[in-house]
Amino acid sequence: MKCIPVLILIIFILSCQTLPLINPSGSGIKENTLTCPFPFLEGKYRLIHSIENRMFDETQSVIIGVTLVDSSTRNVSCAIITAEGMVLLEAESCKETLKINRALPPFDSENFAKNIIDDIKLIFLAPEGKLQEKGTLANGATACRYREENGDWVDVINGRVEGTAVKRYSPDGILKRHIKFNKKSGNIYQNIELQAHEKFNYSLLMNLIEVQPLKRKAMQKEPSRETKK
Amino acid sequence: MKIRYTLYSLLCIFVGILLVMVPSSHAGTNDFERLRKESANIKTIQSGFTQKKIMKILTKPLISEGRFYYVAPDSLRWEYLKPLKSIVITHKNITKRYMASGGKMVEDRTGGTQAMKIVLDEVTNWMKGKFDQNPLFKTTFHEGTNTRIILTPTEKRMADMIEKIEITLSKKTAIVKSVKITESANNITQIDFNNVEINQAINPSLFQDVE
Repeated sequence: MKCIPVLILIIFILSCQTLPLINPSGSGIKENTLTCPFPFLEGKYRLIHSIENRMFDETQSVIIGVTLVDSSTRNVSCAIITAEGMVLLEAESCKETLKINRALPPFDSENFAKNIIDDIKLIFLAPEGKLQEKGTLANGATACRYREENGDWVDVINGRVEGTAVKRYSPDGILKRHIKFNKKSGNIYQNIELQAHEKFNYSLLMNLIEVQPLKRKAMQKEPSRETKK
Repeated sequence: MKIRYTLYSLLCIFVGILLVMVPSSHAGTNDFERLRKESANIKTIQSGFTQKKIMKILTKPLISEGRFYYVAPDSLRWEYLKPLKSIVITHKNITKRYMASGGKMVEDRTGGTQAMKIVLDEVTNWMKGKFDQNPLFKTTFHEGTNTRIILTPTEKRMADMIEKIEITLSKKTAIVKSVKITESANNITQIDFNNVEINQAINPSLFQDVE
């Protein structure tokens, strides 16, 4: 009987998620010259993807997603369209305001547009938070960790095995989003996988149909850049 | 209620598409009894189509292409070939929707298929010439170089979703030109039909196989 509290304590400890350990390659952030991965857009772009929604290991639906992203203002607009041309959602985020121009069921729930915009920002825009750690993960991948204003952690990772990825963790270290850029050369936005860890896990497989640069800045192709501190 | 209106807006697209397939000899007469009689002569329709989606967020239209097949009384295949492959088939009172996934066509697992069934059941009614029986729309005919049929919602909630559907019929060839669905001033779907064939044989397997 005495061992029951100990078992409970062990289960409790094991059930607590912790952020993966980043081994610093230098003595401190400022001295650390490691280059942070940078799989993000620079400039203003319009991207059109086919988006396959998978849940319970089955394809649920395939839709067309249009994304307009401006890295300098962090303004984001998006539209979700069926193959038949019906606009299910059209929304734009400008600074702190979210404007929903159109939302049809099942895309009309209160937080749906906000979550979509947050996911788009996570995929295409560099984290806004402060760089907290940089170094290597246990598997040897380069990782930089940012702390967002709301307390979330964002890891930007680049490794030989897993390629380039972005992970968002809750303030207490629970993985919420895992974004994989599956194309290792050329346009990294060609094939993106977003895994959402929610009450019911789901994933979005995004395949690029078209990309249009809207300013003269070149598309970011190399997934690394020196991070400003 | 919102779902019902979403279905009706989808329905509008199909109504427009099928209206445009009907020979124009009746267009402008507003004689729905005559329309019903003429519709009875249509046994099959097949056509290609190009769909242009125009939105504020797009600087140039998003172009989709596909094929459309109908065999009376109730078999229908509405197929998009690019950029996104998707097929809706209704046959023997069963409706299925398929999407491309991992290089093959997989069945839609969402409630979308049921929604499409409702839509396509209504379409079957229209194929029988019952165009004037939906109180949600007012239909007007406009004669000119081409014949235009304009459907406008009669209820505000529908009008909030679709402003109007404009169907253009060629006077000379008696069929098919285009259908323009205006959801709002900045949100328009234009479908242009090509190579329309009426009453030509269609392989029945098109309503059973998706590949």
